[in-house]
Amino acid sequence: MRKRTLKRGLTGFWWFTLAFLYLPLAVVVLFSFNASNSAATFTGISLRWYGRLMGNEEILSAFANSMILAITSSVIALGIGCLIGYGMYRHRHRKLGWLIVLIYLPIVLPDIVFGISEMAFFVQIHRLTGLLQPGLVTMIIAHVTFQIPFVALIVYSRFVGLDPTLFEAAKDLYASPTKRVVHFMLPTIKPALISAFFLSFTLSVDDFVISFFTAGPESATLPIYIWGAIKKGVSPEINAIATLMIGAVAIAAIISLVFSRRRQA
Amino acid sequence: MAYTGVMPSARSRGMVREARHLLFTVAPGATWIVIFLVLPSAYLMSVAFMTNGSYGLPELPLSLESFRRLAGFGFLGWSPGNLYTLLRSLWQTLVSTGLVVIVAYPIAYYISTCRAKWRPIMLLLVVVPSWTNQVIRTFGWMNLLAPGTPLSELAEALGLISANMGLYPSNFAVTLGLVYNFLPFMVLPLYAAFEKLDTAQVEAAQDLFASPIRAFWHAVFPQTLPGLLAGIVLVAIPAFGMYVIPELLGGGKGMMLGNLVANQFAGGANWPLGAAGAILMLIATFIGLYAMRRIGRRLGGGEEVVI
Repeated sequence: MRKRTLKRGLTGFWWFTLAFLYLPLAVVVLFSFNASNSAATFTGISLRWYGRLMGNEEILSAFANSMILAITSSVIALGIGCLIGYGMYRHRHRKLGWLIVLIYLPIVLPDIVFGISEMAFFVQIHRLTGLLQPGLVTMIIAHVTFQIPFVALIVYSRFVGLDPTLFEAAKDLYASPTKRVVHFMLPTIKPALISAFFLSFTLSVDDFVISFFTAGPESATLPIYIWGAIKKGVSPEINAIATLMIGAVAIAAIISLVFSRRRQA
Repeated sequence: MAYTGVMPSARSRGMVREARHLLFTVAPGATWIVIFLVLPSAYLMSVAFMTNGSYGLPELPLSLESFRRLAGFGFLGWSPGNLYTLLRSLWQTLVSTGLVVIVAYPIAYYISTCRAKWRPIMLLLVVVPSWTNQVIRTFGWMNLLAPGTPLSELAEALGLISANMGLYPSNFAVTLGLVYNFLPFMVLPLYAAFEKLDTAQVEAAQDLFASPIRAFWHAVFPQTLPGLLAGIVLVAIPAFGMYVIPELLGGGKGMMLGNLVANQFAGGANWPLGAAGAILMLIATFIGLYAMRRIGRRLGGGEEVVI
């Protein structure tokens, strides 16, 4: 009897918490279809804010910047991180404590310290040498820096999960190291590479603080544009662009659900 | 004899090759992190010990002026502004972490009691909101808590806030934003702990007529402690350095250490002061990590507290 009331209470709390988690997103989506530009009252359905998005050059260029940044940085981080991951695996019997510290540093450093360090550093380098003017390049550098650890750890754990005798077999099968990499190593760690790429991509698109401090005047990404619009005073267009971004996340969530279902089956 | 003479040279050649392999694989990434993160943070720390020059940029001579300023000593004598900001950061971190634990604990337990086929979906439902950009999520709360919204009017009717004030900007809004932001980070490690809970211990306690509270305290709580500690690290450390949420939801009186630091760099107000604040944040981070590692080891679950 008592157990049943406990279970019922927990179920209620679960739905309450879900409402808490989705309410702010629901409000953004709802008001993106608002006919008036009020942020407090809903007057009717309209698509005018979405129409305005299409003609907004700033938003389109912010979207392009976000994509260029995410794809370029993920590709670079994938190459560098993959090498480290393999190195860590192959030499795991050595004392690599310093390397572990180095790899965890970007993860544990508070975002704001990370972003400001890079900004101060880039500003001084630019003053002294004229190189590395704040813009997409400095942002790509900063993003690669926080993506490398995640790629390295994903690739490393994939290697650890493999049967060590596979490496011996590959050595016997393929004479040259290049062939071993192309025909054995890359195909075996392909799932890890794919998930590392998507994680890097997501981390890049999702980042605001580090991008904000390393960006130049012309290299605003979508989150930076939205931040600026909020600071200037709320415009209903923000709801529309934010809704599109929430939609992208929802699609990603459904894809990941389908994949996990398929893995279970 | 000739044979043993060959062996060492072959071995050392192998060692050289191994060392070169290590260099080729690890060096690019290690160099990248050293140049683009270790050097910049070392530079930032050195800035804290410089003098604030014209345009807010750091200059020599070295001094401890910025730490004096951080403690509140300025041109006009001592003022408590910065100290309030520090205390507020600590307070917000403590309160929001505590609230996150209170909400996440039953949720994680509930998910672990549901049918196995529902659990991944339930976890996904908890995590998905945190995939959307932090700025957008916080913007959603601005819309919900602004003056004139149903929530604000409810609070007004209950006499919690004065008329037309709205629930935002306020310290309450910042706490709410922090709890919202960090809830999934606590649910996931706690769920992992609940999932492998040894129920035999709980049944043993019940068989021995332990009250539900005592059964929980002696049989359940210790088993979930590693997950709880991991969650606290994942929540408290980033909460202490939070920038976006207090900036948008807090207003002038809701500022936290992250905003104090950032403001010193935006518009070039005072780099050394900002750098001193950043050092404080780093110290707090490393104390937090160290303390959790120590506690985690003492519990024997050192490997489970993944840092």
